Amino acid sequence: MQVADRNRDMRGTVVLAVVCLVLQLALAPNLGLGNGRANFALIFSACVALQSGGTRGVVAGFLAGLVFDLSSTAPLGLMAFCLSVSSFALGLEQRNRMAGDLGTTMALFSAASLGVSLVFHLAMLLVGQTNSILDAIIFRALPTAVLTIVFFVPFAYYYSRVRAAGAGIGGAGTIGRGGIGRSAARFGRRGL
Amino acid sequence: MPLSSSGRQPRSALSNSRQSTGGRALIACVVVSLALFTASSRMGDEGPLAAARSAFQTVTTPIRYLGDTVASPFRGLGNVVVNLTADQATLSELQAENDQLRARNVELEEAAQTAERLQGLLDLRDAYDLQSTAARIISGSSDSWSTTVSIDKGTSSGVNAGMPVTAASGVVGQVVESASASSRVRLLTDENSSISAMIQSSRVQGMLNGSVTGQLKLTLVGTDQQVSVGDVVVTSGLGGVFPKGLPLGEVTSVESSPGALELDIVVEPYSHAESYEEVLVITSLTEGQQATADDIAAADAQDQQGDDAADEEGTDSGEQAQDTETSE
Repeated sequence: MQVADRNRDMRGTVVLAVVCLVLQLALAPNLGLGNGRANFALIFSACVALQSGGTRGVVAGFLAGLVFDLSSTAPLGLMAFCLSVSSFALGLEQRNRMAGDLGTTMALFSAASLGVSLVFHLAMLLVGQTNSILDAIIFRALPTAVLTIVFFVPFAYYYSRVRAAGAGIGGAGTIGRGGIGRSAARFGRRGL
Repeated sequence: MPLSSSGRQPRSALSNSRQSTGGRALIACVVVSLALFTASSRMGDEGPLAAARSAFQTVTTPIRYLGDTVASPFRGLGNVVVNLTADQATLSELQAENDQLRARNVELEEAAQTAERLQGLLDLRDAYDLQSTAARIISGSSDSWSTTVSIDKGTSSGVNAGMPVTAASGVVGQVVESASASSRVRLLTDENSSISAMIQSSRVQGMLNGSVTGQLKLTLVGTDQQVSVGDVVVTSGLGGVFPKGLPLGEVTSVESSPGALELDIVVEPYSHAESYEEVLVITSLTEGQQATADDIAAADAQDQQGDDAADEEGTDSGEQAQDTETSE
């Protein structure tokens, strides 16, 4: 049986949003891989989408993308669009997908990160921000995706192991999920 | 019992099954995003969207500053990877740039030292109100029997034989030959050099002479005069060539031989021409820089006192010889 504590979920979302905002503004500009910079807006939206999904995930993705656009020099709305779509895709099948399933979480997020980075940088190429498609993909999109995936690891570990374990021993979070192997099995069936 | 109409898998859960997949929210967000994207691309850096971005940047500045402050100590770590992966061309280019910068550094260091020396000369000129012209030492002595240097100023610059030459720390010597564009300066330590000098504290006057060994000796100072090691020797201004009061050196040894009329005084010069590159040639003296009548009178008195002492010494010697002859 699942028991949802909406207030706790909201508090967790707000805390996650603040943490990711601070990391996006303070850490991301100072830590790069070539031209790539970590996208904590994507990390936030993916966490919300994988945990809650649905409308909340999409709205969280849109708002996170909007904040990312405001903090960067990219045209407003581009990352908002990307994260809205990625959040919708990540939250499609079921809720609380991260609990107890680190591998699947990482695989899903990696796909989302690559997709978002590619679309974003190709769009930037189209609006004339860069001149070469090779530069856009190899020197910008891929490092950004890789770095974002690396920074997502602690978040994924927390949500899949620490938070899930806390809920399982009597916490107020959702309980009674299908175990570690179920999501991986679904992931395999969907061919991702 | 499934409570959702969104086509999810049937669940027995009570929590999230009422939520939609967010399709409507997605459509709305996508529409807004594309509208914002279009408007932002069309308006560029002007308009309300740019103002919103500017406001956001302003509000979040403290967080950015915090991140920059925290990250600054670790920023150099990124260079390690870059340096380790630098190709040979980059390293060669950096090496060449390093060589250029090193040469430039030496050049600037030279310029700084030159400026410091010139500043010293300017200070000296201001302190003594000297009418002078600056010159550069261009060579040393070309023979082994004179201690001279050549400077790059001559008669075309108003430099003539007899003019005193000084550096920031003290007198260097005197011009002995002057061509149109260069001059030869006899140094203090030259055997033929002789300058009117005096002890600064006791005003005892004498002649500062050079020697073959390079030592300076202060002569014509009677044994009854008070001279101590460490006393400063300056020009006396007698003779009208050197301005009065220019530093010459410091007494390093004072000896009085039995029966001698004068003290044997050794002076260490302040200036060493081999360590100087720029000097001042004093072209003329003002009235205040020349010896006064009192100085001349004092010198005469000291000279007369020395003569009297010599006479007494001679009288005593004659009487002793007469006594000896008498006893024989």
